[in-house]
Amino acid sequence: MDLLEYQAKTLFRQMAIPVLPSQRIDFAHDLKGLTIPYPVVLKSQVRAGGRGKAGGIKFVENTIDAVAAAQCIFNLAIQDEYPQVLLAEAKYDADQEVYLAVILDPVTRRPLLLGSVQGGVNVEATMFHIQKVVVDQEFSPFYARRLMVKMGLQEHLILSVSNILEKMYRLFVEKDLDLVEINPLGISSTGELMALDGKVVANNQALERHPDLVMLVHEQCSDPAAIEPTDLPTNQPNFVKLDGNIGIICNGAALTMTTLDQIIATKGKPANFLNLGGEDHFEVTETLLQNLSDGLTSVMASDRIKVVMINWLGHQTTADQIAEAIANFLQHQKTIETLPHFVLRLTVTELESTLAKFAGLPVEIVATLDEAVKRTVALSR
Amino acid sequence: MNLTPDSKVIIQGLRDSDPSLKVALNMKAYSTNIVACVSAGRGGEIIHQIPVYDLVEQAQAAVGPVDTSVILVHPYDVLDAALEAIDAGIRQLVIVTEGMPPLDMVRLVRKAEATETLVVGPNCPGIIVPGKLLLGTHPPQFYTPGSIGLISRSSTLTYEVAQALTDAKLGQSLSVCIGSDLIVGSSFIQWLQILDEDDHTDAIVLVGEIGGSSEEEAASYIAETIDKPVVAYITGLHAPKAQLISHASTIITSKFTQDLHPGTAQSKISVFEKAKIPVASSPSQIPELLKKCLKKTRSHK
Repeated sequence: MDLLEYQAKTLFRQMAIPVLPSQRIDFAHDLKGLTIPYPVVLKSQVRAGGRGKAGGIKFVENTIDAVAAAQCIFNLAIQDEYPQVLLAEAKYDADQEVYLAVILDPVTRRPLLLGSVQGGVNVEATMFHIQKVVVDQEFSPFYARRLMVKMGLQEHLILSVSNILEKMYRLFVEKDLDLVEINPLGISSTGELMALDGKVVANNQALERHPDLVMLVHEQCSDPAAIEPTDLPTNQPNFVKLDGNIGIICNGAALTMTTLDQIIATKGKPANFLNLGGEDHFEVTETLLQNLSDGLTSVMASDRIKVVMINWLGHQTTADQIAEAIANFLQHQKTIETLPHFVLRLTVTELESTLAKFAGLPVEIVATLDEAVKRTVALSR
Repeated sequence: MNLTPDSKVIIQGLRDSDPSLKVALNMKAYSTNIVACVSAGRGGEIIHQIPVYDLVEQAQAAVGPVDTSVILVHPYDVLDAALEAIDAGIRQLVIVTEGMPPLDMVRLVRKAEATETLVVGPNCPGIIVPGKLLLGTHPPQFYTPGSIGLISRSSTLTYEVAQALTDAKLGQSLSVCIGSDLIVGSSFIQWLQILDEDDHTDAIVLVGEIGGSSEEEAASYIAETIDKPVVAYITGLHAPKAQLISHASTIITSKFTQDLHPGTAQSKISVFEKAKIPVASSPSQIPELLKKCLKKTRSHK
């Protein structure tokens, strides 16, 4: 779950990471009640990067300019995303800007501290100077100091900047984050530090044990109880649209990729593919059945669809139930004549009795992936 | 390592009314030697002839040294369950549970490395030694006993490959899914090493997918260290690009991680090809390539 800048800064404030005085702006006319003295910076609160270059960040000197600029930013989509709110923030003169981040590194299977003496909007420069330190054992501040020295920071900055990174690391662990990033961290001529922009990504699997993060993200809702669990982003996979005439449904991301790869290698043209999830713990849940029927509806939604291939691998009893659910779904369609062909690759207990369930429907069941792909592509011609 | 049929197995997180019971019964039906299960507050009960204990250490005291614990507890309780098992001296853990927070895995990995504990998972069907032992949730119907070792990251694609091997009369010595979460307990390299040393394994199949860099690391490890023939298969050649990038919004961090690991199927395949490891273009081509490799090694002997 991606947090917006002002939400990230709320967390920074809680950790005593220095941030500028700021105010959330829900409507352009809110700026008339601005409590921060001008000049201020107005920042579009979208999740996309590159806001400055896209025109989502404006400096303003007075209320009239501010209202006009705010209206302009509210109406500017950045990578298809319109801001719900803006952040008005005091202007800051940084002498130097550095980049700091904490992420998880799947290779070392450890948190990774990242830093660059060149922070800010120049991505190439930041990348050129980037340094990393792996937090191999239990965290201790020396890991942060080690990064400071690698970055080339000197004297008092070693301690003051590493202190910020320490707090970022604590936030990372306490809140189960995928990422915490400060870019840039402004350093003034007197050595004062300020987190000028921040990015926090919370781990979806851990969200349930951090209700405070969920609240923070949904605080725009007037009634927190109204937040449906379905509002939470999940890892639940994905329906992807392409432009051919074959629909694909599988269980498991990798199996879906393989089925897609084989269809394309056999010169078939997928119209879409859907992964219903790979877990097969012997139980066909209500959710799974609902996802299956929703999935069948979306996969068949396009007029171009000529064939739907379902590749479902798992325990036989599960496959039996899935076959039954598909048969039910198809029998309840209004017009059986206009249904696309179905090629099912299912590992059912008994083929004969399963086939009987599909009597009168344009459905065939095949035993192997190669056969299923061959049949599907032939029928799509 | 003890993956023999008589090795002692416990289950942490067995309940009597939900999928965990089916997992346990399926393992029992495969004659896995389940000696106890651990479920705090229910010590003294018996679930389907399996005695229940409150603590892992109590189970150990009653049944003797345990080889493997299969962990089925709630995702937020996995770390604690695993630490309890390690503390009791168990050195093989299979975590079936899905949805474990990655930072919990970081803590578990540190502990596992320090204690030389083998951790499989999380979010995986575990290990099957066809005809002998099931530690997890592999559906046995896809497997037959034989001499091919199978290593992969994701569950259902493993079954697809197992089926292709079985159809081609190539039985399997062991099949393991290490899981496809961001942080997993054991690596391709660890399992390559285990299968290279395993007397029952003649050749190894490695099934990879897009994202991360474990395939790339495995390829160089195979080229340098593994004596047995290895055939690779990488899925995701036509995966849409968006699937590779998790946080496109954070330009620098994603750029940084992508520079480290481009992670496309094509880049992974070319790494294997450079290392002279045969790469199958489909699951059904794997047996063909294996048979060629095996013929070659046999003619060398």
